[in-house]
Amino acid sequence: MRTALAILIAGCVLPGTAHAGRTFYGWLYGTEVMPERGVELETWIQEENDKYGTRSKETWLSWGAVVGVTDQLELALPVELDWSATEQADGTTRTSFTFKRFGIEARYRLAPADPVEATALVPLVRFAVKRDVTARDSVRLETDAVVSYEVGAVQALVDLGAVGDFASGSSHVELRPSAGVSYRATSDLRIGAEVYSEISFDRTVESWATGGPNLSWTHGRFWLSGTFGIGLYHVRIAPRVLWGIAF
Amino acid sequence: MRALMLVAVLAAPAVAQPSGRVVGTVKVTESDGQPAGSGDVIVYVVGFSEPPGDKVAIIAQKGRRFVPDLIAITANERVAFPNLDPFLHNVFSQSAPRKFDLGSFKRNESKEKEFPTTGVVDVYCNIHPEMAATILVVPNRRHVVAGPDGKFTLEGVQPGDWTVFAYTRRATKPASAKVTVKAGAETTVDLEIVRGAEPAHLNKYGEKYRDVGQTYR
Repeated sequence: MRTALAILIAGCVLPGTAHAGRTFYGWLYGTEVMPERGVELETWIQEENDKYGTRSKETWLSWGAVVGVTDQLELALPVELDWSATEQADGTTRTSFTFKRFGIEARYRLAPADPVEATALVPLVRFAVKRDVTARDSVRLETDAVVSYEVGAVQALVDLGAVGDFASGSSHVELRPSAGVSYRATSDLRIGAEVYSEISFDRTVESWATGGPNLSWTHGRFWLSGTFGIGLYHVRIAPRVLWGIAF
Repeated sequence: MRALMLVAVLAAPAVAQPSGRVVGTVKVTESDGQPAGSGDVIVYVVGFSEPPGDKVAIIAQKGRRFVPDLIAITANERVAFPNLDPFLHNVFSQSAPRKFDLGSFKRNESKEKEFPTTGVVDVYCNIHPEMAATILVVPNRRHVVAGPDGKFTLEGVQPGDWTVFAYTRRATKPASAKVTVKAGAETTVDLEIVRGAEPAHLNKYGEKYRDVGQTYR
């Protein structure tokens, strides 16, 4: 009888929303991907303020379409814009606004997309190729190895990223390790914390690191995630917000 | 000697447990009291569990409908959803026992899902709001579709005191009756179930469908 009641009650439970937050973090890639033939428009905005002890401000805007090729593979077509303001030695500030890069990236989830069929440990790999609009002979390669582990309402995630800029006669490589935790406070809202770093192996770019609280909210076909990154090393604040809307 | 006896017992062919059968009739009426037209009714027994069978149940997408639109499976069995229409379909469920989204897939493609938790799983298409089906995930294999005349026979029911349910899509609530099943005996039970209107449902984003009544390919 209890089973029968459970069947009846289960049938009466009101549905929630189908679309979970794609990533629960600000700087970290998540392990969820779009369902097959799903389409989503995603936007990223990030700031990197007062890096390396200078009064530089930088804001990145990136947006692009994301398409579910299969239930485990999605393709993204990002376009990146960059605004920066740098204080000069004479006290003036030089600003620039640049169409910086465009490219294509693939994110492959190495586990079934269905949370019932997937294990608690879910790996995802990401590869991206981007063309630098301002340096015509340059190409950027990006890769991430992401692993999430979910227990009840808590998800822990590690994202080991690497970025390489390759041009004729020069190259720059940096690692971008990051980690975070996210707690499901309600069915639509998650809160947590994360740390993110960019570790450079040459003197052309300095290393920096940030960490702070994050939040992720899902509402129907819309999701939003973000973090308020507080400077841990060579940066004052580095907030990042991203959102997506599915069609 | 004991060891020999143990070997003999283990080597003996499995003997089927004696079971009984439940027969009866289901009468379906509309909520206004009028007799209902044809429509599938599933009769099942609750109170004991059995392992799942090997077969994969099928709910096809054909003519912008799920065919059939009501099935019963045993927990941990799988259901395949082939698309037999010449245009894209989606299959999703927001029911608590089994939430899933199969994405969109084209003609002659098929996707499967396993259903480990008992309960009522309502299945819809995110593209075509008129498409709806229900999967009853029950704890044992004693479930059957009643005939057009409402008659049913549940074979192989283990002896005991159980509850027999009848369910149809649009049922306002399942009809049920207590039965006592005895080995080798037949138990008769008649059930009456009331059918209401097709309830409105939301799309997979929890929103109302746009242009209800009109669909696009």
